[in-house]
Amino acid sequence: MNSVGEACADMKREYDQCFSRWFAEKFLKADCSGDPCTDLFKRYQQGVQKAIKEKEIPIEGLEFMGHGKEKPE
Amino acid sequence: MRVWSSEHVFGHPWDTVIKAAMRKYPNPMNPSVVGVDVLERSVDSRGRLHSHRLLSTEWGLPGLVRAILGTSRTLTYIREHSIVDPVGKKMELCSTNITLTNWVSVSERLVYTPHPEDPGRTVLTQEAVITVKGISLGSYLESLMANTISSNAKKGGTGSIPGRGIKILRAVLCGEKKKTKQSKREVIFFIIQNIDAKLET
Repeated sequence: MNSVGEACADMKREYDQCFSRWFAEKFLKADCSGDPCTDLFKRYQQGVQKAIKEKEIPIEGLEFMGHGKEKPE
Repeated sequence: MRVWSSEHVFGHPWDTVIKAAMRKYPNPMNPSVVGVDVLERSVDSRGRLHSHRLLSTEWGLPGLVRAILGTSRTLTYIREHSIVDPVGKKMELCSTNITLTNWVSVSERLVYTPHPEDPGRTVLTQEAVITVKGISLGSYLESLMANTISSNAKKGGTGSIPGRGIKILRAVLCGEKKKTKQSKREVIFFIIQNIDAKLET
C-alpha cells in the first residue's frame, strides 16, 4: 500500500511489518510488554508529516501526533 | 441527510477478523483506496489501541468531467480513528472525509464484536451518515450514495465507503461548471445516467 509521501514508502513498509507482528503476537493476546516499533514510527512519521504539509492536506492537530503509551482517552 | 446501516457476520473468530481488518488495504474490492498512512498510534490507560490514519482515495474522473474541471487532480482524503480493545474484544472504527467538505460529508462507523452465540464468528455492524450540501439534487445524490454503500456492504463490508461515495457525488457536481443552465442540466443528466448504468453492473 502506498504512502501519501512517496519518499517514505520504504519506512512505511518497515513500520507496517513491525506493527503487524506486534499487533498479532502481543497486543491481541493482551501482552503488555514494550512496543518495539517506536523508533521506526518516528522515522516514518517525519516523511509523512512533510508530505502532508507539502500537499496541504487539512489534518488538524498534526503537531501533536505521536506514537506511545498512556495517552489520555 | 441520509442514514444507512447494515450488519454482516464473518465465519471467523474475532481475532482473525481484526488482524485482517487492520490490513484491509490494498483491497481489490475497493481499488480506489491508493494510500494509507498512520498519523498517530497509542495505547490508552484501559489497554485499548487508538490509531489515527489518513486514507488517500483516487476516484478517476471521467474524461468529460476532467475537461470541464480543467484538472486531473482527483485525490480525496479520509481520516479514520480506530479503537481496538483486546480484552473486551471490540474494534470500533470511525471515518470521515476531510476534503470536499464544502459539498459532502460522509461519515462511517464500523463495530466488530464476537457473535453473541458463536465465538467462532464475528459480527460487523456498519452505519453511514451522508449529507450533501448546497445543491438542489441533494436528496437524489444522497440516495445514490446510500445505494452504493449498500452495494459495497453486500461484498462483505470490505469497501471504503466515503471514498466511493465522494467519487459519485463529484462526478455529478462537475456539471455545475458549465455556463448555461440548459447545458448544465444536460451534463448532469448525462453523468447521472452513466453512474446509474455503472451501479447496475
